Amino acid sequence: MTEATRDIQPVELLINGIPVRAEPQMTIVEAAWAGGVPRVTGVGCLEGVCGSCRILVRRGKEVNVALGCETFVEPGMEALFLPAPGTPRHQYQLTELADGWDIQARFHEIFPEASRCRHCHGCVKSCPKGISVEEGVKLAAAGHYREAGEAFLECVMCELCDSACPEYIAPAHVGLFCRRITAFFHLRPPNLIHKLEELKQEADKKEQP
Amino acid sequence: MKRGLSLQAALAAYRADAELAPLPDQPDPDALLHAYHPDYLRGSMTKLTIGANAGADCQRELADLLQAEAFIDEADLAGAQVTDTDVLVVGGGGAGCAAALAAAERGARVLLATKLRLGDSNTVMAEGGIQAAIEPGDTAQQHMQDTLRSGHHAGDPALVAALVGDGPETIRWLIHQGMQFDQTPSGDLHTRKAGGTSAPRVVHCRDYTGLEMMRVLREAVKQHRGIEVWEQSPVVELLSNERGQKCVGAVLGSLADGSMRIVRTRSVILATGGLGRLHLNGFPTSNHIGATGDGLVLAYRMGAKLCELDSFQYHPTGLVHPAHLYGKLVTEGVRAAGALLLNAHGQRFVDELQPRDIVSAAIIRECREGRGIHNDNGVGVWLDTPRLERSQPGLLEREFPKLLTRTRHVGIDPRREPILVHPTLHYQNGGVVIDVDGATTVPGLYAAGEVAGGIHGRNRIMGNALLDIIGFGRRAGRAAAAAEHDRGPKKITLEHVNRARRELTLAGLPLEQRAPRVLPAYTAAGKDIWKS
Ligand SMILES: Cc1cc2nc3c(=O)[nH]c(=O)nc-3n(C[C@H](O)[C@H](O)[C@H](O)COP(=O)(O)OP(=O)(O)OC[C@H]3O[C@@H](n4cnc5c(N)ncnc54)[C@H](O)[C@@H]3O)c2cc1C
Ligand code: SF4
Ligand code: SF4
Ligand code: FES
Repeated sequence: MTEATRDIQPVELLINGIPVRAEPQMTIVEAAWAGGVPRVTGVGCLEGVCGSCRILVRRGKEVNVALGCETFVEPGMEALFLPAPGTPRHQYQLTELADGWDIQARFHEIFPEASRCRHCHGCVKSCPKGISVEEGVKLAAAGHYREAGEAFLECVMCELCDSACPEYIAPAHVGLFCRRITAFFHLRPPNLIHKLEELKQEADKKEQP
Repeated sequence: MKRGLSLQAALAAYRADAELAPLPDQPDPDALLHAYHPDYLRGSMTKLTIGANAGADCQRELADLLQAEAFIDEADLAGAQVTDTDVLVVGGGGAGCAAALAAAERGARVLLATKLRLGDSNTVMAEGGIQAAIEPGDTAQQHMQDTLRSGHHAGDPALVAALVGDGPETIRWLIHQGMQFDQTPSGDLHTRKAGGTSAPRVVHCRDYTGLEMMRVLREAVKQHRGIEVWEQSPVVELLSNERGQKCVGAVLGSLADGSMRIVRTRSVILATGGLGRLHLNGFPTSNHIGATGDGLVLAYRMGAKLCELDSFQYHPTGLVHPAHLYGKLVTEGVRAAGALLLNAHGQRFVDELQPRDIVSAAIIRECREGRGIHNDNGVGVWLDTPRLERSQPGLLEREFPKLLTRTRHVGIDPRREPILVHPTLHYQNGGVVIDVDGATTVPGLYAAGEVAGGIHGRNRIMGNALLDIIGFGRRAGRAAAAAEHDRGPKKITLEHVNRARRELTLAGLPLEQRAPRVLPAYTAAGKDIWKS
C-alpha cells in the first residue's frame, strides 16, 4: 500500500455479525481475516474457481448470495459466510450406466425433480458465474446432455443454485452429470485410441518371446 | 532495484501494433539463473541439521518448519475418538482423489481427510492442461527426454519412465470418470505445445483443465460407497509404532471445533500438495490457501527422506494487477499460443517458451535493472495479450475463458489491455522421496502428487504435474490397498515425535516453533490454531 491509499477512509461493515473495519478494495474474505473474524475456513483458491467462499450479502433491504473472494467491501454491508454444502442427494455411479440407449430413463430416475422446474429463476439469480442454469436444466430434462453440460462449463460447484431451488432439483449436479456422461459415452478421440492400441501391441510383442 | 515506468505511463505508451525489435542475443542460461533466479538469492538457503536429510541444502523458511516441534503430545491423544480404516488418504486434491478411488476400486475401506472442503486445492486452479504423448509423431521416449532435460537431469529416470508411460492410459481413465477435453473438428484430442516440450502434447479443457478435473473427481469420490470423506479435518501429526519406524495412523484436528481425532490404519497416503502459502523469499503465490507444506513436515518428522528442498518453481506470469488477484496465475498456454513478453520500453527480452526458470529469471532481471512497470502492488512486465488477439481474433475468448472471466467484474479486459505480470511462487519441484508405487522410505507411508519429489528434477514443465498426480495417485492407491495387515495388537504412539524432539535438543535448536503450519498466519484461523 502506498502513502496515498493509507489516507483513505476505512470501510465499516458486518461479517458474520462481527463489526469489521476494512480497507476499500478488500474482498470480503480479506476483510474477514484482517478483522479477525473466527472460523472463516470456507475459503480455497481466492480467485473464484473453487466455489468454497459462499456468502449471503445484505445491502439495505436487498439480499443476495455471492462468492466472498470476488465481492468487495462496501460501507454498511452485512456478509455472512454460509456453511459448506452437504453430501449430494442424488446417487449414481457412471459405471452402472452401461447402456447409452436408456440414459434418458436413468436420468429421470436419478434426478426425478428435474422435469418439475417451475421456472422461478432462483438458480439463475443466485449463480455468481452468470450461468444459464435454468436453461441448462431444461436442456437436460429434454435429453440434450451435451448442450446442457456445455452451459455449465464455468460452474465452480458452489452449489448456491442447489440451495436456491424450491424443487430440490440440484441444478449444479444435473449439470455435472450431463458433462460426465457426455465424456463417458461420447468422448472417443481417434488420436488417443490409436496410441493406446499401439502401446498395447508393443506390450503384447514383449510378452511373446 | 532501479525504478521503471509507472503503470499509467506504460499503458499510455503501449500500442498493440507497435513494430517489435528482434530478440537480443541471450545470455548463458546458467549465468542468468545464478544471477536472478530466487533459488540463488543470497541467504535463501541453509543446511538441515537433523533428520534424514541432515547436511543437505534446504530453503531457509522451509528448514525452520522441518526442524520444528510437533503440535501435540501424548496428553492430547488420551480421550480422543479412534476410527479404524484400511487406507487413510490425506488431502482432497487431484492426487488424493485419484488415490482414494484406486484404493477403493481394489476393495479397501478408504477414509479421505482434507484440510478444507473436498476439492480446495491447487488442482482446481490448474489451467493449461495435462501432458500425454498421444500425437502420431510423439513418443513416451521423447516425453521422457523433455522431462529430464527441463528438470536439469535431476529427476529419477525410473519415476520419469513411470510418469510418461502412464500418460495415455491416464487420459483414458479421466474420460472414463467423466472428464471432458477439448477436441479438434475431427474428434482428436486437441494438443498444445508448452515451454520445454518437443511436440504438441498438452491436452486441456479450455483453460479450466483443473476445474473440470476436480469437479469430476470430487463427484466420483463423493458418490463412491467405499470412500468416507472428512472435511475441515487437517492432519496435524502422524502416528508410529512403538519403535517409531512404521506409520500406523494419524491425528486429525477439526477446524470446526478444535477437537482431535485419531485414525488407525494399515497405510497412510500423503497427498497434501505444495507450499506456495509459505511465501518463500517473500514472493506472492499462485497457490490455494491450504498449500502450507504440511506433508513435508509430517513425513520428515516420521523419518522419511526428502529431495530437492532447495529448488522451487517461480512461474513467470503471476498477476500484479488487480490487487486482490496478486500472484494469481496466467497460464503458460497463453504464451504457448503466441503471446509475447515485453518490458517497459516495449522490447522483447527472452524467448517466451524457454523453461520457466529461465523466463522467470529474465523477467526479474528486467525489473531489477529498471525496465519494469510499477504500480502500488509491485513491479512487472507486459504479457502482450492484445497483440495476440489482433493476430488471432477470437482466440482468447475461445481458448482462455477463465482469463477473461476472472477480471471481468473489475473491468479489465486482456483483449484490450496487456497484462502486468511478475514471477510468482508456484510449485515445489522436490518433495518426499518415493518409488514407482508411491512408497516413501518409511513403511506404511505413501506420498503422491506435489508433496512427492524426484519426478520433475529441478524444474517442472507445464502439464506434467496433473499427469503426475493422477498417475502416481493411482499407483499409491493400488499399492496402499494391497499392503499387508499387521498381526498382533495395534499400538499407536508418538515415538517419532519424541525422537525428533531429542534430536532438536541435542542439536541445540529452539523448540518454540510448531509445525505443520496448517493455515497462513494472515488468515484469522491461522492466528490461533489450537495452541500454537
Ligand atoms: C494456479 C495453478 C495452475 C496450475 N496449472 C497447471 C497446469 O496447467 N498443468 C499442470 O500440470 N499443473 C498445473 N499446476 C500444478 C498442479 O495443479 C498441482 O501441482 C497439482 O494439482 C497438485 O495436486 P495435489 O493433489 O498434489 O495437491 P492439491 O491439489 O494442492 O491438493 C492438496 C490437498 O491436500 C490438502 N491438505 C494440505 N495439507 C493438509 C493437511 N495437513 N491435512 C489434510 N489435508 C491437507 C489441501 O487442502 C488440498 O485439498 C498449477 C498449479 C496452480 C497453483
Ligand atoms: S451453476 Fe450453481 S454451482 Fe455452478 S457456479 Fe452457478 S450457482 Fe454455483
Ligand atoms: S431454481 Fe429450480 S425450479 Fe427455479 S428455475 Fe431454477 S431449476 Fe427451476
Ligand atoms: S475462495 Fe475459491 S471461489 Fe472464493
